[in-house]
Amino acid sequence: MGANTVLKTRNNQVVLQLIISGVVIVAMIVFGVIMLLAQGGVIELSAAAFYQMLTIHGTGMIGAAALAGSAVMWYFLDHYVNLSKKIFNTNLICFLIGVVMVIIGVFSFEYASGWTFLYPLPALSAGAWGTVGALLYLGGMLLIGVGFLLLFIDTGRAIIQKYGSLGKGLGWDVIAGKKSELDAPPAAVVASTMVTIVNISALTAGATVLVMNIINVVNPAITFDPLLAKNLTYAFGHIFANSTIYMAVVAVYEILSRATNRPWKSNKPFLIAWTSSTILTMIVYPHHLLMDSVMPKWILVMGQVLSYANGLPVLIITAYGALMIVYKSGIKWEMPSALMFLSMFGWTSGAIPAIVDATIVVNHVMHNTKWVPGHFHLYMGLGVVAMVFGFMYYLAKNDSSIQTNGMDRFAFVVYLLSMLGVSGSFLVSGAISTPRRFATHIPEWMGPAQFGAYSGILVALALSIFIIHFVRYLVVRRKALPTTGRAQQGMI
Amino acid sequence: MIQFIAWVVSLFCMLAIAFVFVFVALKSGQRENYEPIVKKWYKVRKVYGISLVVLIAIVSVYTLRNLPYNQPVYGKGIEPIVVGVEAFQFGFDISQREFNVGDSVEFDVTTADVTHGFGIYDEDMNLIAQTQAMPEYTNTVYITFTKPGTYQILCLEYCGLAHHIMVDQLVVKE
Repeated sequence: MGANTVLKTRNNQVVLQLIISGVVIVAMIVFGVIMLLAQGGVIELSAAAFYQMLTIHGTGMIGAAALAGSAVMWYFLDHYVNLSKKIFNTNLICFLIGVVMVIIGVFSFEYASGWTFLYPLPALSAGAWGTVGALLYLGGMLLIGVGFLLLFIDTGRAIIQKYGSLGKGLGWDVIAGKKSELDAPPAAVVASTMVTIVNISALTAGATVLVMNIINVVNPAITFDPLLAKNLTYAFGHIFANSTIYMAVVAVYEILSRATNRPWKSNKPFLIAWTSSTILTMIVYPHHLLMDSVMPKWILVMGQVLSYANGLPVLIITAYGALMIVYKSGIKWEMPSALMFLSMFGWTSGAIPAIVDATIVVNHVMHNTKWVPGHFHLYMGLGVVAMVFGFMYYLAKNDSSIQTNGMDRFAFVVYLLSMLGVSGSFLVSGAISTPRRFATHIPEWMGPAQFGAYSGILVALALSIFIIHFVRYLVVRRKALPTTGRAQQGMI
Repeated sequence: MIQFIAWVVSLFCMLAIAFVFVFVALKSGQRENYEPIVKKWYKVRKVYGISLVVLIAIVSVYTLRNLPYNQPVYGKGIEPIVVGVEAFQFGFDISQREFNVGDSVEFDVTTADVTHGFGIYDEDMNLIAQTQAMPEYTNTVYITFTKPGTYQILCLEYCGLAHHIMVDQLVVKE
């Protein structure tokens, strides 16, 4: 009984984080649709409202993806190492308090720096927002960051405790031939080790630049080097946003492997790919600074080349592995496996526009156009989001007896097509030089924005159907758990 | 032109990926022993992986030959027109706004307050060059005007509530 209670409680928080994330994602889509409708000339929106929505949309989407991704990672990693539930709890509390601070800062104090809060914009708003709004937003972000930092310090602690070091968590002893592939750490541990390393780095950079901004807001006489601040901002933003897919991909390994009844082995190429991803994810962020000629030229050239190389692990190992494990497997497609398979398509296809844009000569005419959101709406909208909702369906299937129905399958098709519509509209906008983060558009740029808005409405509807299934599961689970202990099955 | 190439290349690659995923999904109903599949497709992966690495190397070398950070006219012994630009919330101070076709111009761009963008759009509203305007630093962008007309300057880095109306113009005469 005691063990059951502990497992149930742990599972409860995973479930709670997932439902919060799901609802936040849909709410953020609503803001996204409103912004696209305004850009498309369909509705009128004040510039202040537009940029507040822009700020909350970016912050909310990254926050929700990270909260859900960390829940997925924690759920599977907890099978292999001894994680601290208190830290897991602390992170959620920090997240929730931080979110409240961010929301109050944005909507009550009209703070609108965008989620990148590029120094010194938080302090120099041209009269649009004041110190309180900036401090609430930056303080909220700092609190959220500290929560995640604690979480990843704990995952690192647990991995080191079990495997000896983070290097061994990445399987370096197997790569070096000191240990057999049969004794390699499981995929969930390898991925979690990578995420632990990159996110501790990212969050440290993020906390540093947030504190710099806070000091500058409190006392504008204290200034910092803007180029250093910009590097820290993108080191944080790129890595942290990127890491959400590496957290959630753990579910792909576990779910596709079980659905096909085929092993997803941690062999040497797999381990080398993850070590490569660890290094590359941390050092490719200069592709966000390609239009800053004051950066050392060699760093910018490396920004291009390493961004190309960063596509290799997923293209050659992860996505290829997903294709191989499914190929002629006789798999019986269900919502979890279908969404996981789709997520690998979203990840790989979404990486393509990013790789193209990392080319310096291309970036020269596409940086900060809507091409960039085209990339990450595909990458995150059809990658991370598919993984998260696929995991929700997986939990529902494992933990309860509820069945998916025609509506779920219908929603899957709608989600796929409409998310392609949203991403495609951004890519087309980018190709015709439409700037991103513009409250209004000239008539030539409005068509794709309208198409994106209507597609976004369909995405919100499809994801709402996914959420309804998850809520049905929550209701069943609430009634069934005390007597059947089904939650425990989901944990094993 | 570059945008068109980027679009076509991206679309081609994404469609190729979609084709592979659909093909595998269609074949997933059949059941075969996994070991032979692994053996065969690991071999294919080796070729595929090496091909991708070679492709990356070739594309890198090709696209890194002429970087926008270098002004080609200096190598030809021609001095460009140097134009100072200072961005501010929400406009641009530009030391010269009129040019002639064939003029090679070096824009030295900085800002008086927050980070801005300096994007040059042609008459068809195609983005043809850009750089960032950063406090305390001067970024440089080079352009040789080949067509007459009125070019728009747009801020391409979010800088506050009037970001989208931070617009200026350059005129290029015959």
